[in-house]
Amino acid sequence: MKALLICPSKRPAIPHLSESGPLATIPILGESLIGHWIEHLVSLGATQIRVVTVDEKEHVAASVGNGARWGVSISIASSSGQPTRMEAAKEFRPKDESDWLPEPHDVVVMSHLPGFSELPLFESYATWYVALSAWMPRALTPTRVRVVEKQPGIWVGSRARVSQKAKLVSPCWVGDQVAVGPGAVIGPGSILEDRSVVGAKATVRESWIGPDTCVGPMTSVASSLAWGSRLIDWRNDSSLQVPDPFLLGSLVAPAFAATKDRFGRPLGAPEPSRAQNPLIAAMHTPLAQSSNLKPSG
Amino acid sequence: MKLETQGANLIISEIIELTAVNSATFRNEVEAALGGSPSMIEIDLSQTRFMDSSGLGALFALYRATAQRENVSLRLLDPTPEIQQLLELTQMQQLFEIVRR
Repeated sequence: MKALLICPSKRPAIPHLSESGPLATIPILGESLIGHWIEHLVSLGATQIRVVTVDEKEHVAASVGNGARWGVSISIASSSGQPTRMEAAKEFRPKDESDWLPEPHDVVVMSHLPGFSELPLFESYATWYVALSAWMPRALTPTRVRVVEKQPGIWVGSRARVSQKAKLVSPCWVGDQVAVGPGAVIGPGSILEDRSVVGAKATVRESWIGPDTCVGPMTSVASSLAWGSRLIDWRNDSSLQVPDPFLLGSLVAPAFAATKDRFGRPLGAPEPSRAQNPLIAAMHTPLAQSSNLKPSG
Repeated sequence: MKLETQGANLIISEIIELTAVNSATFRNEVEAALGGSPSMIEIDLSQTRFMDSSGLGALFALYRATAQRENVSLRLLDPTPEIQQLLELTQMQQLFEIVRR
C-alpha cells in the first residue's frame, strides 16, 4: 500500500521551531514528527511512502533514511512550496497507480499529529505545546522500548537518571538519557526531550524542554518552550536568548541558533562544545554560589 | 541610565542594558543615591532589552541593600517581556514587587 506524506513548510508564527532544521524532523517526545507519521502509516498497512519536502530535502532524507527502520520503502521528492492535499495528489500521485491507502490516509499533510487533526501543531507556540501535551499518552507505542510508564501519566526513559529526591508530577514525559537532579520538580504538563538535563531544585511546569538542553539548578521554567539557550513563553510568544548557560543552555551545538547578537551584528563565534560548555561544570553548582549573583558587601 | 528624585521617590530609568559592562556602575550610583533616604525606589525596566546574571546580581544587591533599611520599598516597573521571562526563570520575580502601569 502506498501513501504520500507532505512536509510542512516554515511558519512565520513559530520561527524558532524551524531554526535547527525542517519542521518535519523536529523532535516530539523522542521521535521526529515524520517518524510519528511513518509509524502511523505503517500501522495502517503502508509499505511505500513518498515524502514531499518543501525545504532542506537532505535533512529530511537523513532523518528517515530509506525507511528500513520501519520496514517500508521511502522515496523523497521536492516541491517549491507546501502543496495542499489536492495539489500534492495531482502532482505526486499518478492516477494510473493503484494500491494506495484509503482516504484520508493516502495523502497526509503533517500539520498535526496522527489522529489529532483538531490540534494543529504550527499555528502558534501555544498550539504546539497543547498538541504535544495531548500527544503524551499516545506517544508510547508498542515499538517504543526505551520509555516506560512508571506511574499513570508519568513516562520515563529507561536510560534516564532521575534523582530519588526529584518529584515527577503527572502528566509528564522524561525522555531517554535525561538527567533530573535532586529536589527538581517536573510537571504537571512537562516534556523533557531526550538527553536533556534538569539541575537540582529546578522546576519545569507546563513546558517543553528540547533535546540536549540543560535547565540550570534552581531555575524555574513555566509555560515555556526551551531549546538550547532559547526560551519562549508560549502564552504570549515572548522569546529570550538566555545569556548565561548556567541558567539555560545547549549541551551541544545550538538548536535555536542565534544568527545575530543583541546589537544586530552577525555572530561568528561557535558555541562551546559539550566538553567546553561551562554549563556542565555548573550543573551541580547551586545558582546562589555563582559569583555573578552574589551581592557585594 | 537616569536617576531622578521626586519627593521621597528615587526613580531609575532609561536602562537599556544591565550587564557585566555596566552593573557595577549601576550599583554604585544607586547605592550612592540611597544616601538621600528615599522611601520608594522604582526601577523602570520598560526600556531594558538585555540583562545577564551580572545585571540580575545588581538588582539582587539592591534588594539586599533596601531590605536592610527600614521604611524603604523597592519595585520594578514595566519589565519588558524578555526581562520578565528572565526574572521568572531565575525566580527573582518572587523577590520584587513588579508593577505594570
